[in-house]
Amino acid sequence: MFDWPTFLFSLPLLGKALLITLQTSLLGNAIGFAIGTLIASMQLAKMPLLRRIGGSYIFIFRGVPLLVQLLVIYYLAPMFGLPNLSPMVAAIMALSLCSGAYIAEILRGGLLAIPSGQREAAHLLGMSRPAILLRIELPQAVQSTLPSLVNELVLLIKSSALVSVVGLADLTRVAQNLASSDYLFFQHYLVLAGIYCLINIPLTMFGRRLERHLERSLA
Amino acid sequence: MPLSLSPSTSTPAASLEAKQKGPDKTPPIIHLSAVGKRFGDHQVLSDINLSVNHSEVVCLIGPSGSGKSTLLRSMAFLEEYDEGEIHIEGRLLGWEIDDRGRRKHAGRTRLNQARRNLGIVFQQFNLWPHMTALGNVTEALVRVRRIKRSEAEKRAMEVLDKVGLAEKAKEYPARLSGGQQQRVAIARALAMEPKIMLFDEPTSALDPELVGEVLAVMKQLALEGMTMVVVTHEMGFAAQVADTVVFLDQGSIVTRGTPSDVFRDTQHPRLRQFLQNYLDRNAFWHTTPEQET
Amino acid sequence: MTFDLSIITANADAIWNAFLVTIYTWLAGSLLGLMAGLLIAALMLFGGRPLQRLLRVFIELVRGTPFLVILFLVYYGGPSFGVRLGAITAGVLCIAFYSSVYFAEIFRSGFAAVPRGQLEAGECLGLGRLQLMWRVQLPQMLVLILPAIVNMLTILCKETAVLSIITVPELTAVLTGIGTRTFTFIETLLVLCIAYLLLIEVTSRVGRWLERRVGTYLQR
Repeated sequence: MFDWPTFLFSLPLLGKALLITLQTSLLGNAIGFAIGTLIASMQLAKMPLLRRIGGSYIFIFRGVPLLVQLLVIYYLAPMFGLPNLSPMVAAIMALSLCSGAYIAEILRGGLLAIPSGQREAAHLLGMSRPAILLRIELPQAVQSTLPSLVNELVLLIKSSALVSVVGLADLTRVAQNLASSDYLFFQHYLVLAGIYCLINIPLTMFGRRLERHLERSLA
Repeated sequence: MPLSLSPSTSTPAASLEAKQKGPDKTPPIIHLSAVGKRFGDHQVLSDINLSVNHSEVVCLIGPSGSGKSTLLRSMAFLEEYDEGEIHIEGRLLGWEIDDRGRRKHAGRTRLNQARRNLGIVFQQFNLWPHMTALGNVTEALVRVRRIKRSEAEKRAMEVLDKVGLAEKAKEYPARLSGGQQQRVAIARALAMEPKIMLFDEPTSALDPELVGEVLAVMKQLALEGMTMVVVTHEMGFAAQVADTVVFLDQGSIVTRGTPSDVFRDTQHPRLRQFLQNYLDRNAFWHTTPEQET
Repeated sequence: MTFDLSIITANADAIWNAFLVTIYTWLAGSLLGLMAGLLIAALMLFGGRPLQRLLRVFIELVRGTPFLVILFLVYYGGPSFGVRLGAITAGVLCIAFYSSVYFAEIFRSGFAAVPRGQLEAGECLGLGRLQLMWRVQLPQMLVLILPAIVNMLTILCKETAVLSIITVPELTAVLTGIGTRTFTFIETLLVLCIAYLLLIEVTSRVGRWLERRVGTYLQR
């Protein structure tokens, strides 16, 4: 039933594709984190305009499906003055803009939980707003929301399967190519699912362990 | 010096003694032999031998951690006992002996059969908050005994009236006081017409001024001849209502007897220490010269 | 570039049908997923150790796999086992399958939230496990799990876009199709985005209204 030779021969190709998937996901996560920090601090800003912009960003990028966001970026990039984007760049942009919205919400919760006294003390000591954010608030917010952030990474890795539609040679795309050439659809997709699980399940368990660790240290 | 908790000689006790207490030829309704239970390394119950006769009221007392709640819960198989045997009305509770003589869990139907004649009242009442008092009482009547709703409601109202809460039938538990909630819980158990009522510290979660109304209901039940096993810290209740008081400590029965034996005449050091401790915290009457020897 | 919405009106029929397909796959899939999720949660509650462990493994595997891959497995891989599903049917079933494990987790946390004592009391009165679940646990859980369920529903609404990849004629497929054919990307993609934003917003509002209604009903 299971064609072992084909499976073994597919592994190198899938291995290369795995690197692309990880690269895209991790870059998307990193940039998304930067965007999320920015948006979260906008949401907590004093100026109402900043808050509204932050809120709208989250509304749009959490309301529109990632696939649609990806298509918009890929097809409409010229409109926004960008040259025709390569699939990789478009993919990373889409993933980071989308996860940025989710990370913003996660970080917002973490930032709100910090007692305002700390901000005031830092301010009185003469620290600038960005410095306060980066040196005082962000580390604490990240620490308290780490399990959610790990969970977001897992979701991002799963969502990255969609970048196959813009032709990027990620895991899903390569599996599709393999399957359409030898018609062993079920086998290739099963292996594909297996690879994703091999990445995601340990990550998820790590996130859960973090959560328990946090609960215990707070209790 | 004898302790000041003496069974009163007022009417309730006298009526109790008036109950048929002669040589009882009928077998005990609950029988525990060599019952034990372990939680990991910790022996929670060891070598418990106890019999409860029809219409007998048994109070289990003891310090916390003594295993008295575990013992009571084992009688309903809410805790699985590991050693010994518990027989309810002559039938082994919770376990079955398979053809090779080994123990295995009794099936659901057998367990339910055994529990048919048990009513249980919990420390935390455990009422269902999304149903009215009437709803709580009728639920099992309708769903388990398959009684028609109108008939079930009639029975429920009777038993709610018995505990003095007929006007609160349509109220939700959140609107009832602790004492009222516990009385509804008693009514819920009584509605199923059990032969035995088990009470697990029924008044421990109540504000002191609400304890009396619940104890009054329990006293009435005892007078009417209900077989009761009560885990309690209310020594006054035990002194007045119990036929047998059993003192547990660290998982075993240390001593047992009538209320006089246990509260007035005991020489057992651990029991005296326990009762003294209790008195120091709870008693606020003073001894009269006649009560001291 | 000109902005011309006439392309939308010209294809109004096709777009409306696509909208209906989106709604159908979303709601039918979610409903089936809810039922399957409840079943899984109940099985985990009542079943023995081996069953619990099996279901746990199943849940982790499904949660670790991208939705798109599950779609491919069912739609393209199915025929290897003689299972040839239409695109829409495959879409509904995959949404149901994928969401069932998430709903199961939501139900499980709800079950755990009802105090054990209430179940013990019911058990001693003779109520069966199923009766306890239906009459004691679920009514109390509803308020607690409603937000999580509504949230999951919005996630599933967005996932229906992925169905376009296996040629289900839903909103994303149809509108991008029109856009590619007539080079009206701006108009079509804009309408597409607005459509989803509307759906999500309506779902959130309905969800909040429901939470208020159920909340007061149980409070009395």
